[in-house]
Amino acid sequence: MTGRAIGVLGTVLDRSSYAVAPTVVAVGLFIANAVVQPSFIDSSNWASTLAVSSPFVLTALAQAPPLLSGNGGLDLSVGPFAGFITVFVAAVLVPAGLGAPEVLIPLVIGFGLAAGGVNGVLIAYVRLPPIIATLGTYLFYSGISTYVLPSPGGVVPAWLIKLDGSYGPVPGIWIVFAVVTAGWMLLSRTAFLRNLLAVGGDERAAYTAGMNTAMVKLWAYALAGMLAALAGLLLAGVIQSGDATIGPGYTLTSIAAVALGGISLAGGRGGLLGAAMGGAVLYLVQNLLTVAHVSVFQLDIADGLLLIAALALNGALERLRKRGGGSGAHRVIAEATVAVAGSL
Amino acid sequence: MSAESDSPTSVLLELTGLSRSFGETRALVSASLAVKPGEIHALAGENGSGKTTLIKVLSGVLRADSGELRWAGRLARFPNPASAQSAGISTVFQETLVAPELSVRDNIVLGTDGVFRHRRTARDERLVAAQALNELGLEGLDLNRALWTLSLAERQIVTIARAIIRPWQLLILDEGTSALDTTQRDRLFAYLRRARAEGRSVLFTSHRMDEVAQLADTVSVLRLGETVARLAMAETSPRQVLVLMAGRRSVDRALAASEHPRVEPHPVAREGTRVPVLRIQDLALRRGASTMALAVDRGEILGLAGLEGQGQVDLAECVCGLQRPASGAVLIADGSGTWRAVRNFGDANRRGIAYVPRDRKQEGLFFSLSTLDNFSLTLMRELNHIGVIRPSVVRLRYGEYAELLHLKVRHSSDPVGTLSGGNQQKVLLARWLSTRPQILVLNDPLRGVDANTKEELYQLFRKLAADGLAIVLVSTEILELLTLCDRIAVFHDGGLQAVLPAARTTDTDVVAAMFGHAIESSPGG
Repeated sequence: MTGRAIGVLGTVLDRSSYAVAPTVVAVGLFIANAVVQPSFIDSSNWASTLAVSSPFVLTALAQAPPLLSGNGGLDLSVGPFAGFITVFVAAVLVPAGLGAPEVLIPLVIGFGLAAGGVNGVLIAYVRLPPIIATLGTYLFYSGISTYVLPSPGGVVPAWLIKLDGSYGPVPGIWIVFAVVTAGWMLLSRTAFLRNLLAVGGDERAAYTAGMNTAMVKLWAYALAGMLAALAGLLLAGVIQSGDATIGPGYTLTSIAAVALGGISLAGGRGGLLGAAMGGAVLYLVQNLLTVAHVSVFQLDIADGLLLIAALALNGALERLRKRGGGSGAHRVIAEATVAVAGSL
Repeated sequence: MSAESDSPTSVLLELTGLSRSFGETRALVSASLAVKPGEIHALAGENGSGKTTLIKVLSGVLRADSGELRWAGRLARFPNPASAQSAGISTVFQETLVAPELSVRDNIVLGTDGVFRHRRTARDERLVAAQALNELGLEGLDLNRALWTLSLAERQIVTIARAIIRPWQLLILDEGTSALDTTQRDRLFAYLRRARAEGRSVLFTSHRMDEVAQLADTVSVLRLGETVARLAMAETSPRQVLVLMAGRRSVDRALAASEHPRVEPHPVAREGTRVPVLRIQDLALRRGASTMALAVDRGEILGLAGLEGQGQVDLAECVCGLQRPASGAVLIADGSGTWRAVRNFGDANRRGIAYVPRDRKQEGLFFSLSTLDNFSLTLMRELNHIGVIRPSVVRLRYGEYAELLHLKVRHSSDPVGTLSGGNQQKVLLARWLSTRPQILVLNDPLRGVDANTKEELYQLFRKLAADGLAIVLVSTEILELLTLCDRIAVFHDGGLQAVLPAARTTDTDVVAAMFGHAIESSPGG
């Protein structure tokens, strides 16, 4: 690997050192799932597994920017908004003839950015506490979804359902993940993530240094909205309809997922990789328990226990890290990986 | 008020009639300022004089209620920090503002990018950051280190680096040297003088009169929100500046403290008895470092000195149980006369050791809580009666210490964050003094405190020592150590270099010891 590539990898890995734990856990759970249910890794199942897991991962990704922006930042509305998108697509857009992918996808993304932008304005400019502002939008989207589509139904375009399956040997959902990953790589090449972490770390420091902190926060929530909208779109494909009731549950799982993903709930530390891993962990645990014939209600208990364990582990690792003066296991692993990469 | 006539083009920055209030408090009443290009301009004033408010208005952090600001001859307003920076004003604030999880490099270029757009390539960022750190004396600092691993002085240098990488015409330093050691300060001053030679200007505040006298071409004095004087440094003296700052109050003592080392006999020594209360035995701060042994007596003021990071703060932290030495122990006498080692901070507290930390923002005060709450924190256990605390009792106790420390605040229920730096320090001191310790450990307690408050506190420390309190004081100001302490322990390279009796030591001796040159006394004296 070239020196430059190693340099980039080194920076990415070091910044991502917080994500080592959840990634290791995710891999472990993946193996556990495969052992308990051999058909889990059967290629014909992959596509649908990935498809079902995608709302978990995407809502976790959506929750990451608001949390990283610190100062009490979080977005309670991601769940209901994703549910609203299923309703919006199935009951409004498709019947209006806007079901083609080149029309629907930009519309959904644009709508997500706009809705997130509204959250952003309320929080960054009107200066409402994030938990209050997004609780308001949570209730708004819950309500309006039920109003538009009181019971599940509507029409979901065929291409969206097909994402659930495969295009030849390639699961359709991989295209989505590829796009999201590409989007993330693009984003990490901009100054945005660094600005976001600065705002979350010490907003006054960022502001007095000349940063437009309000705009950074606004974009954090806009991105959250966009990712939640994408989650909603894929969700519509999975359940093959619009459903007003399915959204709200994803809010809490998104928060659990980012906690599992090693993101500091105080802001200023963490990133999208961890959020994605956290979402994966959550999904894999649920899958494992379902296969083990644990009832649906007990899944909630599992989620709750996972969340508590994740937060406790998060806190413990933070203290260890600070005591070690910054040279913890994370750094060693990151440096080792870079060394290996250098020999490639 | 004496000033040369200023034609419009010869003035870089001009402020007239600036006023700003916070509720009832009038921070600025009618402040004015005129800074010429190629000038180092000192802004002098006590805590509460309006200096920091003035600086915040200049930097775009605050807006003035009224008044006029002219930049390069033209009327200007700075609604946010970015606008002041694009005009060419770079500010280093009194509080060390950093993003703790980001790297040194990230912190230095903080604020230069757009929301998405990078201003510089990664390579240029590294170059520019390294260059700035070189100028300021931190050549070896790894740009990838996370800020939270840095010492206070290193963090302050990072914030200064952040200010100087921008193209600036006016650099504002609000107590910019408060955490730096002698070498770092000299490097900074050299940089400032070079910039002045290029025609750029500096506006700085400092409570150290020697710095003002050394650096400034002109000094403007603020008192109670108004500019009372603007003088060429050559035409005035530190004494006159202090007089102007304080108004009618006598400043002889303040001046003496800042100019001449004062010598007072060790009060307990006068009586001929020395009762040790603290013993440091075979202590090594790090594995492989040299061991040290020291005893501190009742009523003694022991100073701990050294260049940044040479071990003096580590020893202070070992004394109060915040750090564990690599070997050896810190022993305190029990009531029954046996000596037992300090185990941890709580243990040290219970046995009469109080610690006032250096960074009052991070380690000391709770900014959103009131002054009263911050004060009474340590008294909770003592004052509670079956779990209930009587507010009147707390207020009474607070009143005692407020009087002792001459601490005057508007309402003790106001958040402590609204107090001036000097008053905040008094609250912190009051909190720990109220636990009636037998040993008081102070880490740079008078950082960023004005000369008159300093003098008050010097008197207080001497009085407490005369009453039997043993004080261990870490300080970066040699004059302060010589004035206040009975003995000065100088640290070098993680070990004790020398223990100097203040009465027979000059500042040159102390500096020499800081750099590792052996003097008369040897460790353990």
